[in-house]
Amino acid sequence: MYTYVARRLALSIPVLILSSLIVFGLMRVMPGDALTALMGESGNVSPKELEKLRRDLGLDLPYYKQYLIWAWQMLSLSPGDSIFTNEPISVALKKSIPVTVELAVLAMILGLVIAVPIGVISATRQDKPSDYAGRVAAITGLSLPDFWLGTLVITFAAIWFRWIPPLGYASLWTDPWTNLQQFLLPAAVLGFRLSAATMRMTRSTLLEVLREDYVRTAWAKGLGERIIIYKHALKNALIPVITLVGGQFGTLLAGTVIVETIFALPGMGRLTVEAILFRDYPIVQTNVMLVAVTLVTLNLLVDLTYAWLDPRIRYQ
Amino acid sequence: MAIATAPGRTFDEPVTDHVSRIRALWTVIKRKPLGMVSAGLIIILVLTAIFANVLAPYDPLAAQPEIRLAPPSWAHPFGTDDIGRDVLSRVIYGSRISLWVGLLAVGIGTCVGMIVGLVSGYWEGRLDLMLQRVMDALMTIPGLILALAIVSVLRPSTTNAMLAIAMVIIPGNSRVVRGAVLSAKQNRFVEAAQAIGCRDYRIIASHILPNVTAPILILASIWLGNAILIEASLSFLGVGTQPPTPSWGLMLSSTGRAFMEQAPWLAFFPGLAISLAVFGFNLFGDTLRDAWDPKLRRQG
Repeated sequence: MYTYVARRLALSIPVLILSSLIVFGLMRVMPGDALTALMGESGNVSPKELEKLRRDLGLDLPYYKQYLIWAWQMLSLSPGDSIFTNEPISVALKKSIPVTVELAVLAMILGLVIAVPIGVISATRQDKPSDYAGRVAAITGLSLPDFWLGTLVITFAAIWFRWIPPLGYASLWTDPWTNLQQFLLPAAVLGFRLSAATMRMTRSTLLEVLREDYVRTAWAKGLGERIIIYKHALKNALIPVITLVGGQFGTLLAGTVIVETIFALPGMGRLTVEAILFRDYPIVQTNVMLVAVTLVTLNLLVDLTYAWLDPRIRYQ
Repeated sequence: MAIATAPGRTFDEPVTDHVSRIRALWTVIKRKPLGMVSAGLIIILVLTAIFANVLAPYDPLAAQPEIRLAPPSWAHPFGTDDIGRDVLSRVIYGSRISLWVGLLAVGIGTCVGMIVGLVSGYWEGRLDLMLQRVMDALMTIPGLILALAIVSVLRPSTTNAMLAIAMVIIPGNSRVVRGAVLSAKQNRFVEAAQAIGCRDYRIIASHILPNVTAPILILASIWLGNAILIEASLSFLGVGTQPPTPSWGLMLSSTGRAFMEQAPWLAFFPGLAISLAVFGFNLFGDTLRDAWDPKLRRQG
């Protein structure tokens, strides 16, 4: 297991370095540079001021130096300041990360709570009306844009129940009731979308497992349906589902961008979109890199869990 | 991948001709009602986009302030927006943007992904290692966030959104094509072609490529739905198609959200159009997979 962990860790590092190069390169391929674009839009900055600003931000340095400085800032967890608000990015992140983490965790839990039981019903009643209903629900979940679902949920909650989520972010620790009211709907919207793929995967792997010899043996021994499905089959069927759920963190983080914008939650997604609209490139590159690091770490954890659950993986 | 062998063929050359593939697809479409529904939705979408100027009852840009925010009626089945433009006409014209962006983005993404996958899988070695690590790195950034970052660099527009989506498609496609090439290379007919001294490009074009078209087409169909969704998301966030061009995502974000309580139809119909289009392509991708990939067919 230790060799496997070491190998997976070693493979993640070059990928992260390449990701950082891509993110950094992307921010530099802009015609001119970020500052010219930004100032060009405001229109009243003299070339001298522009030059001074460029020097202050280190944009006059060669690209490799700029990259090394940025990489060091990222590693030392002090990713510079926003060029729009002058606020240190770390301060903005400290406020926004807990919002996104709470939304993502809640959405993941809701997604699994919806997906696994429906997937099980779909598999155990294959080709029956409940299976068709489950499959249509899953593919509908994949097709409904979260921004549409979010907009509809807010609209109809307001029209039918005269209820809108409380405005102004309330922290989970200071005001849990308001916080829950603010987070439940966005998490449900995100969770529903996430549940679609998990539902399909649970159904297909469970169908496969139910055809295995050991399940047939369990039936032959006269065990009850509930024990066979939940104790024998589902346990094994859920192993590939873990990989899928791990792979869904990307979708989840992309989803938070949209959902935070719709529900006015001050998370990382909304921070990124605002930074993009104001062309605040230090925030954009920091946030995109942070997402990449999070995904690589989570994928690594999922792989390790998978190897721990299924020893065959370690020896491949 | 479906590899059937026909009697009399040498070196197990697989049957990859278009007639048998279309026949397999038709059989699945006839057998599965959802396959038929998906094909129907795609045909309707394509015809709507082509004949938008004939089908749309009004000019999508013509404002009639006197009937602003009018609810659905016989004259305006989807109602009108905040400056009195007919929502049905705008939804019909919006199909052009969605389909155009989707087709071009998937076209570019699939071609580049295919080239990277072919080069990587066929020659392997250091080049493969390097290319695949770059693809790994691109895949660490979620599609929508990567597209957002690219559009922020290139400036918001429909063309740039399309290029950004194409970039998102490349890594996944290259990975699938690489896998299919590696497995196609194991066939004896490839070994035989190499033994008689065929040039690499000829082996790729006549022996490898026909074996990787099925996964590419299945993936392209699923990606078309995703591309439409990403374009709509980018436009929704204000970095895709710019006003006054009718785009489904933009219609939802600009007027749809601003007037959602007074005029819910402004958000409802463009969203429904996006959902149906994505639903159609997702389901069609499933149908293609069922027809051309018997291994997955069993799993349902």
